[in-house]
Amino acid sequence: MSTRGSSATAPTAFTHEVLLYRDDATFLAGLLPFLHEGLAFDEEVVVAEPPDRQELLRTALGPAAAAVRWLDVTELGRNPGRLIDACTTLLAEATAAGRRLRGVGESAWPGRHDAEYAECRLHELLLGTAFADGPPWRLLCPYDQVRLPRDVRTGALLSHPLVATPTGGRPSTSFSPDAAAADFGTPLPPPHEGVLRGTYGPEDLRPTRRTVASFARSCGLSVERSEALELAAAELATNSVRHGGGSGSLAMWRTDDAAVVEFSDRGQLTEPLAGRRPPGAERSGGWGLYLVNQLCDLVQVRSGSWGTTVRVTTWR
Amino acid sequence: MRAHGSVKEPEARPADHLCWVHDDDESFDMAVRAFLAGGLARGERLLCVGERAIATLDGAGEDLGDVPGLLADGALGTMTVVEAYAVAGPLVAERQRAFYATETARALADGYSGLRVVAELSELAADSGQHAELVRWEHVADELLASGAGMTAMCAYRSDLPPATLGDVLAVHPLAHGPGHVTPYRLFFDADRVVLTGSVDTSTAGRLATALAGTPTGRSAVLDLGGLEFVDVAGCRALAGWAIALRDRGVPLEIRGASALVQRIWRILGFSDIAPVTFADARG
Repeated sequence: MSTRGSSATAPTAFTHEVLLYRDDATFLAGLLPFLHEGLAFDEEVVVAEPPDRQELLRTALGPAAAAVRWLDVTELGRNPGRLIDACTTLLAEATAAGRRLRGVGESAWPGRHDAEYAECRLHELLLGTAFADGPPWRLLCPYDQVRLPRDVRTGALLSHPLVATPTGGRPSTSFSPDAAAADFGTPLPPPHEGVLRGTYGPEDLRPTRRTVASFARSCGLSVERSEALELAAAELATNSVRHGGGSGSLAMWRTDDAAVVEFSDRGQLTEPLAGRRPPGAERSGGWGLYLVNQLCDLVQVRSGSWGTTVRVTTWR
Repeated sequence: MRAHGSVKEPEARPADHLCWVHDDDESFDMAVRAFLAGGLARGERLLCVGERAIATLDGAGEDLGDVPGLLADGALGTMTVVEAYAVAGPLVAERQRAFYATETARALADGYSGLRVVAELSELAADSGQHAELVRWEHVADELLASGAGMTAMCAYRSDLPPATLGDVLAVHPLAHGPGHVTPYRLFFDADRVVLTGSVDTSTAGRLATALAGTPTGRSAVLDLGGLEFVDVAGCRALAGWAIALRDRGVPLEIRGASALVQRIWRILGFSDIAPVTFADARG
């Protein structure tokens, strides 16, 4: 069986497909052949889905479900900025075990916030660059055509080079490899809420993080989440001082469901993947943004000739 | 836990290690005399090191009584910096430690309850060639004091020293009288463990790394972070750097009382693999 398909379907590079589904039936019809094929080829098959979708797939797979690695995407992909790192780890583990990796990931599950969808889209757009040179693997991303907002559905066709069809992947005509740079270089939408603002310089790291910590507590965040946000503030303000022209500005606001802190400076970050992968154990720099991504709910980085902004959202 | 934090009065109990930053002569004289009088009341032998500390003895009769008599019968001694060099050699932390350990033992053998030292070492702190070793000595001295050998010390520095210099010395004293802002953290000993309190960020992580590199340890080491309020990536890197250096010397490190966040950072930054430590709950 493996000789039949391996030469025909084994990718030579990272392949990234979108599966547009309308209901449980089309969800299963799109995913089951993909999963069965991976299992038949003895690949490392990983499914990152919300719990209810996992249950649907497990039931349909029957005993074969035991050979699949199941991950809760609502945990793993809570901050989409962590997903490239998670994929890198999965790929390294599979490669070390001498197996190919095949993944299903629904990071843009229905019911997320608009800001999260924006980050899911940027994440999807950056995947091609992140895995261009590594071992080949396959990723299939289901998108709910009924429950997702229209711009998220059209964005999925823009961020994926391939669209899954019953007869295999076909190129997405609206795929835009330049969209990553465009998204990354476009300033974030300004908040509608009232904003507390301040500026900081090299001598203000301590008061800046303390201001953020007390704002976090005033928003009702737990001690541990306030501490994490204080640490994020220290790292992001330090980045401004070190790499962003020596100073920056802080903006803080609360929405109905979140506490948001934003750090802006005049520096330009040229690497959109910054903070999405660990910089390497021997490197002393670059860990701050990576750590912020690991600790915080949503981290939005945008940079261009106009400067750099990092917006950190903590759900309340 | 050993006494630590900011103090207003020059009062010290046995094993205390107090850093006293002074800016006006009169209050400095009063502080030294009060500190020495406290030792006298406890039956400790007194030692004044450095010209400025010795000068406070002129007119100390009200606090100490018969100063010439104390000097004559060995209850009170003095050493200028030059004399200190003559007996202990140029400033090397281990030689200083051996000297003070011997002097403390001698005081106990002579029937005193301990040795109380006041030292004014601003000139060494200001000397760029001596500064680093002085800070290392202060840190090593703290281990001797914390060991319960019987020594108590007040280390005095002028407030017009550069803030970074003052910060370096203040940071390795458990007790301090001086500008708090120059040292947001303290590193000191408590019995068999090293204690880090306060907050460490990118502006002070280098200082901490230097101090830790000079931390004396036995065959194992315990670092207590129960009183650490904040540490950033740079601070964690300083701790990990020390853990790696200890591992290379075959000394296992236990980190006690680290917050859940610090333990998470340790994992996220990949230190679990390169700087193995045992995390334990706070005790004692």
